[in-house]
Amino acid sequence: MGNFSVVTISREVESLGDEIALKLSKRLGLTVIDREGWVSFLEKEKPGFPVEPPLEEDKQREWMVVARELLREKAEKQAFILLGRGGQRILEGLDSAFHLLVVAPVKMRLQRIMEKYHQDEVTASRILAEQDLQRERFLLRHFGIDWKNPLYYHLTLNTGAYQVEEACHLVIEAMKKATGKAPLLPAKQASLFEEKNFLKETVVFSHPSEEEFARILDFYNIRWLYEPRTFPLAWDSEGNVIEAFAPDFYLPDFDLFIELTTQRQKLTWKKNKKVRRLKELYPEVKIKIIYARDYQHIVRKFGGTK
Amino acid sequence: MTAPARLGSLVFSREEVQKRVREVGEQISRDYEGRRPLLIVILRGAVYFAVDLSRTLSIPFDIDFMALSPFKPGLQRVEIEKDVDTPLLGRDLLIVEDIVDTGLTLNFLVRSLEKRFPRSIKVCSFLNCPGRRIAEVDIHYFCFEIPDIYVVGYGLDFRGDFRNLPEVYTLYDPTGRDTQILKKMGKGGKK
Repeated sequence: MGNFSVVTISREVESLGDEIALKLSKRLGLTVIDREGWVSFLEKEKPGFPVEPPLEEDKQREWMVVARELLREKAEKQAFILLGRGGQRILEGLDSAFHLLVVAPVKMRLQRIMEKYHQDEVTASRILAEQDLQRERFLLRHFGIDWKNPLYYHLTLNTGAYQVEEACHLVIEAMKKATGKAPLLPAKQASLFEEKNFLKETVVFSHPSEEEFARILDFYNIRWLYEPRTFPLAWDSEGNVIEAFAPDFYLPDFDLFIELTTQRQKLTWKKNKKVRRLKELYPEVKIKIIYARDYQHIVRKFGGTK
Repeated sequence: MTAPARLGSLVFSREEVQKRVREVGEQISRDYEGRRPLLIVILRGAVYFAVDLSRTLSIPFDIDFMALSPFKPGLQRVEIEKDVDTPLLGRDLLIVEDIVDTGLTLNFLVRSLEKRFPRSIKVCSFLNCPGRRIAEVDIHYFCFEIPDIYVVGYGLDFRGDFRNLPEVYTLYDPTGRDTQILKKMGKGGKK
């Protein structure tokens, strides 16, 4: 497997990522560390160490450093596959780790859920949306990443285009041909292993008010992600997304999405409609619209003479 | 030159304010019976409320003050401009605020104080405006909950003015929006 001693596999729900991990493990003679394996590994190597990173920023950073070191030490003794568990984040920037993302078209994933749970299409859509959301929130809150960003990975595989066997072949070929350097991190995310959050400066905001709001959040040391998630709101008869909504900010510490609008309140009906629809489809998502008036108040208050 | 701001409608009269402050003070006295809380007053707005509140307490207490730097472009992070002089280890802290709306300041403050290992931290705010909340914070005591309106008086200012009023008013709002909201609350008398 070239110079790599770890393969991290991140996968969409029902995208055949688990099957690829299993097949790869047989082909390359590697063990697979999944959730269960991760728990046993920690019990053995560092009893009492939390299985997931804590939510507090400083503790999260400490957790990540320890987990990375444990995995790096293990990789020096024996190569392995890390399935999920935020592997792409824990081992980001490590030259000996190959990061793979497995995706599949919604239609195929829906079909698999319908067969697996014996459900109709509507119920399966809901199950899939919930599971996707859970995964997204877990990685945002505990690892602070937009995990679907392909820049975290050496390779993104669409199992809508390849069978498991072919997919494994492609992974092995990609590992042979890789430069041996870790992928450059996506611009929106700062590395946990960098002292400065300098990459946030490269975020391109659509509106100056968003930039100012981000500065206020930074000022109060509140972590944020800019437009990290797009929520599909409507689909056509073939399952293609025809309407979607990407709230401006996500605050992982409060599990809260924020949409800023500087339009007059009378003109915000379209946005209100989208938010109402989002709440219907994703009732567990917390979202708040900050209207022009609220926003002016915030700016006035924080620019004022408190 | 900016025109001077004008007061709008009366939101809480002096009598209403004093009655609620007394009630909250009595509740705090009951809750902290047998203990000696440290009141941490956040400068500058909360001073008026803190003075009145402390006079209603029937328990022994200590008082100290903190001030945070206001947000301004160029300043990267909020800073504690004036810190407490009292050691906080093992103390029961009661943060006294004038208003909690977005919760950003208070969230920062609570996180900062937690690092000094007090026994407990509670928050007492004169006004609570949950409609504007961004950062989650627990408000244990408050005198009044208000809707999304801009108010002044009883420590709350607009560009430094109106802090010394013993009542709470809205600022003059030519659109009439605040007046409508106040009417729904059964409020809205003129000064």
